[in-house]
Parts: sequence; structure tokens; C-alpha cells
Amino acid sequence: MRILIVEDEPTLQAQLAEGIGAAGYAVDTAGNGVDAHYLGETEPYDAVILDLGLPQMDGITVLRKWRTAGRTMPVLILTARDGWHEKVAGIDAGADDYLTKPFHMEELLARLRALIRRAGGHASADLSCGALTLDTRNSRATVAGQALTLTSHEYRVLAYLMHHRDEVISRADLVEHIYAQDFDRDSNTVEVFIARLRKKLPPGSIETVRGLGYRLTAPK
Amino acid sequence: MNTATPANSANTRSSTRRPLRNSLRLRLLAGTLFWITASIIIAGWGLSGLFRQHVETQFHAELKMHLDQLTAQLVLNDKGQPILSQPLSDPRLNRPYSGCYWQVDSLAQDAASGLLRSRSLWDYTLAAPADSPADGSIHQHRIVGPEGKMLGMVERSVRIEEAADGQVRTFRLIAAADESLMAEPVARFNGALWLALGLLGVGLVVAALVQVFIGLAPLEKLRGALGRVRSGETQALEGRFPVEIMPLVEEFNSVLVQNAEVVERARTQAGNLAHALKTPLSVLANAAAADNNKEGALAQLVSDQVASARQQVDYHLARAQAAATTRIPGTRTPLLPIIDGLVRTMRRIHAERGLELVVQPLPASLLFRGDAQDMQEMLGNLLDNACKWASHRVEISAHSENDQLRIAIDDDGAGIAVEQRDTVLRRGMRADEQVPGSGLGLAIVGDLVHLYGGQIVLADSPLGGLRSLLVLPLAR
Repeated sequence: MRILIVEDEPTLQAQLAEGIGAAGYAVDTAGNGVDAHYLGETEPYDAVILDLGLPQMDGITVLRKWRTAGRTMPVLILTARDGWHEKVAGIDAGADDYLTKPFHMEELLARLRALIRRAGGHASADLSCGALTLDTRNSRATVAGQALTLTSHEYRVLAYLMHHRDEVISRADLVEHIYAQDFDRDSNTVEVFIARLRKKLPPGSIETVRGLGYRLTAPK
Repeated sequence: MNTATPANSANTRSSTRRPLRNSLRLRLLAGTLFWITASIIIAGWGLSGLFRQHVETQFHAELKMHLDQLTAQLVLNDKGQPILSQPLSDPRLNRPYSGCYWQVDSLAQDAASGLLRSRSLWDYTLAAPADSPADGSIHQHRIVGPEGKMLGMVERSVRIEEAADGQVRTFRLIAAADESLMAEPVARFNGALWLALGLLGVGLVVAALVQVFIGLAPLEKLRGALGRVRSGETQALEGRFPVEIMPLVEEFNSVLVQNAEVVERARTQAGNLAHALKTPLSVLANAAAADNNKEGALAQLVSDQVASARQQVDYHLARAQAAATTRIPGTRTPLLPIIDGLVRTMRRIHAERGLELVVQPLPASLLFRGDAQDMQEMLGNLLDNACKWASHRVEISAHSENDQLRIAIDDDGAGIAVEQRDTVLRRGMRADEQVPGSGLGLAIVGDLVHLYGGQIVLADSPLGGLRSLLVLPLAR
């Protein structure tokens, strides 16, 4: 799962990146509206955390432009502006949730999880696929109650596949969603992660669809 | 408390009946009435005097004419007795007691009154005062005549040489007329004069009334326009006014605009201040939270203080913004779009809770007499609360009653115990610590409602939870 954090205050941006990164997400950051708009237009984020008071282009404008351009990723507005008229304006501009500063990191993470889950059409915080269960609240995966030990990249691959179970996910898609933008990407490493995951998951959980990518399903 | 009493409305209109002492209309009318009365009395007095003088002059001129005729016609006959060579022309002199008389007295040693008299004197002899005017001069007197009436009279002495003996005889010639002959036309004239002046006076008063009412009509219009600004129908004084009060109207309108601008600026600045303060607070809070995981009383202290600072900022900003708003007259806000916007927002923000948010049909014409942001703030906080506490369902309904806007928000949650309801409306009080929130929402609502002179009532909801009822000023 890849998240864009748009915040112009450097310290807060760093704290957000750290807190959200620690929860198992790949994180990109932007410090002004123009960069944010560009990243949101070109990169396939699973969610965006958007400040409103931004240099160069304000957050509401950025959000409107994304929505006009057909970008549908969930957007959580994180701002100090807490008047209800501002919240209504934010939601009407296309935001999916609204959180005001100062905030608790736990609440932000909970809302972020909920947004991503709802975007994938999942109702519960626990995602399951056969015996495999992923608790998005604490980033823990279990098979029949047994906890799996996963590296952060393995977790990201698994989480993305779990959110899109029974869908064919291309290798390029996986790369886009598990790495931050400035990470040195190598699509071959995806194969390595898939191979490691296959060893830890029930056999037959991850199918390879030749020429298209991978698919997570409950083994028959 | 389950019922709402009417709000202590802050807009009690000042009585439309003003003390007459302070009425411009009355001042103008009193002044005009005074001048009209004074002018008419002076004019009447003057005219009547002039006329009387004229009649008197004419009266005496006529007497003198009779006297002159008498003088001209008086001759002595063969016996040396005075006779008239020809009767005098005025027919009144021949009608008994007609009021016009003449008489010839002898002023010789054998003085005798009434040697010759007009027929009108009949058997009466005028008793002229005993004086002897110098030759040719004319004296005027007032004497008592027939039937005791006062007569005006003129007399003159005439000397006639008797042809036979060359003796000169002296006569006194008198012409007299009843003064009532003079008084009657004067009285008639006066009657007509005062009637005419009275009509003129009434006409003038009516004209003055019309003038005052027409002249002051723009002020009445101005009052109406001000009333519409107050009630929120218009944002500025509208309509054309006379050049004398147009500057006042324009000045007032520019003050209104300026007022709105100042408020908008204050709001923007308040918003900027919030942003400027809260981002560093977020940084502090996050740093403290990260540190807290390890250990440290300092981290705890920072967390607590950040929470407290946030409360202060929220509360005072909300207050400052609200206090600025309610002073702008002429603002009014349609309720429906606000409710729709908030419901859209609540559905997103509380999407996790899967609530059923129902807006009971309400007339689109419901208008709140006040600012849109304040209405959003009040309803937003109440709805947010309801959504936090509801189990499945939140309902919003609104209607107008007795010139007040009544908005009810119901939920099917646990509600708030009766004895706690007053407490939660106070600043920073929370009924329960389990649901996140600063605990200021209801207090801010309470303050805003108070500023608008409205009322907030917490009661039992028919849905089983809490009903928050807002009573606010309605705009027409």
C-alpha cells in the first residue's frame, strides 16, 4: 500500500512519514501543492493525506484537480482548519475523510486503514482469504491462527494482494504500490518476495497468471 | 426539561409609538400651525381695520357731500327765511328715520334750532353742541339722534346776505347720519373676511399636513429599509432616497460593507492563527507520543499541555468568530443547503459507523437570521455528536414556529442523563471520555446560540437517545 503525504511543515511531514511508514505503508511526501498535484496525477497511490494550507497551490484546489482528472484514490484531509464550513467544503471538493490537527497518530492510522479498506470494498478491518487472515490494525498476518513473520516488503506485497483478492495483479502494479517513489526499484525483487511468501502461505494461495501477473485466492 | 420556552429574543423592536415630543412631524406641524394662526389673525385685524377706516372716510365724505349740497341749495326767500332752492338728491333724506339727516339752525340773536330739517328727521330736532365753527370750517361731532341712536354729524356756519336789507344772517348747516349705516357694512365685511380667512387657514393647515407627511415619507421609507436590513431581508439599504438623505444612506451602506469586510478579515486571521498554532502543536504532540512509548514525565506533560492548548485555541477562536458575526445585520441563511452539506460530510466522516442519516422533509424557504458559518458550526457540532453516539439512526427535522426557527437532531444512542444535561453545555465538559473529541462542541454551540439570543435544549428523543433542539431567530 502506497501513501502520499502532503504537508508543508517539514517536522510534521517527517513525523507523519515515520508513523505511517512504521505501520507498513510505502510513503511518498510532497511539501507544496504543485508537487502534490503532479505526484497524485502520475502515481497510483492507495491513499493520500492532504494538508489544506499549502504553498503554491492550496489543498482544496489540488483535490479538485485530481477529481476532475478522474483520480479516485481515497483522500484524507489533515488540517488545522476545523470549522464545519471548511469540513463541508473539503468533503464537497472530493475528500473521503477529514481530520483536524492536532491529531493522534493512532486515529490517523485507523482512519487511513478504513479508507483503504472501503476503497477496496471491504467492510471489516480483518481481511481474510481462506485460512489466511490479515489484521490491518496491527499489520499482522495469520494462517489458521498462527502468526506469520514477514519483512516489511513481504507485508506490503501480501497486504496489496489481500486488498485485491481474486484479482490479477501485474508485477508492475505491485512495484508501483510497494515502493516509495525514490526507492531504487527492481521488478525482479517482486519475484523474490512472491517466492518467499509462497513458502509461508498455504500452498496454492498465490497463482501465477502467465503474462499477466499474480492472483491471491483461497486454495481449493 | 422537555419543552423549550421562547427564546429571550434580542431583537425586541423598539416601540413604534414614539413620544410625540420627539416627533419631527409634530415639530414641523406645530411651527406651521403657529405661523398660520398668527398670519391670519394679523391679516384679519389689519384688513378689518383698513376697511373700517375706508368706510369711515366714505361716511364722512358722504356727510360732507350732503353738507356741500345743502350749502349750495340754501337761499333766503323774500321774507328773509332760509329755504332750499332745490331738494337734496339723496332719497334717504326724505324717508323718515332713514338714518340720513340734515338740519339748518339759525345762529342769529333769535337763535333757533331746526329752522329747516330734512323730512327724514320727521319731528325730531338735532341737538348740535353749542359751538360756532369759524367761517367755512367744518366740525365733526357725535350726537344722539332720533330713537337714541348715535349719529355722526358735520356742521359748518354759513353767512347769507339778505338781499332786501343787506343784513347778514348766519346759519349753521348740519348733515348727520346714523353710525349704524357705517357699522353694518363693516360687520358684513368682517363676517365675510373671517370666513374667508378661516377657510384659508383650514386650507393651509391641510396643505401643511400633506406637506409634512409627503416631506417626511422618505424617512418612513428609510425606517422600513432599515427594518428589512435588520430582519435580514436585504444586505443594504435599498431604494432611491431624496438627495438630502441619500448621503446618509450611502454612508450607512458603506459602513455595512466595511463591517462585513472587517468580520471577514478577522475570520481569515483567526483561521490563519489556528493553522499557525495547531501545526506546531501537532508536531509537539506527535513527538511527545513517540517519546511516551519509551518513558518520561516530560512527554506526558507535553501531551497534556498540547491537549489543553488545543482546547483553548478551539474555544476562543470559535468564540471570536461567532462574536464577530452576529453584529452584521442583514445576514440570512437558507437552512436546507447547510443541512444537506453537513449530512454529506457526516456520511463520509462517520462512514465506518454505517449510520442511517435521515433529513425529515423541510421547506426550502426556512431562513436563519444569521451567518451561514455559525449555523454550520452549531449544526455540525450537534450532528457530529449525534453521529458519534447513535446506534443506527440520526434524524434531523426543522420547522418555523412563532417567528422562530426550531431544529431538532435526534439519535438512538444512550442519551445523556437528565442531571448531566446542563453540565455538558458548559465549557469543556464531557459526558463520557470514551469517544474522541475535545469536549468543546456543545459548549461552542451553547455560546453561539446565546449570541444569537436563541436557546438550546437537550431532551429525550423519540428515537430513544438524545434530542438536541435549537431555537434560533428566523428570517423572513
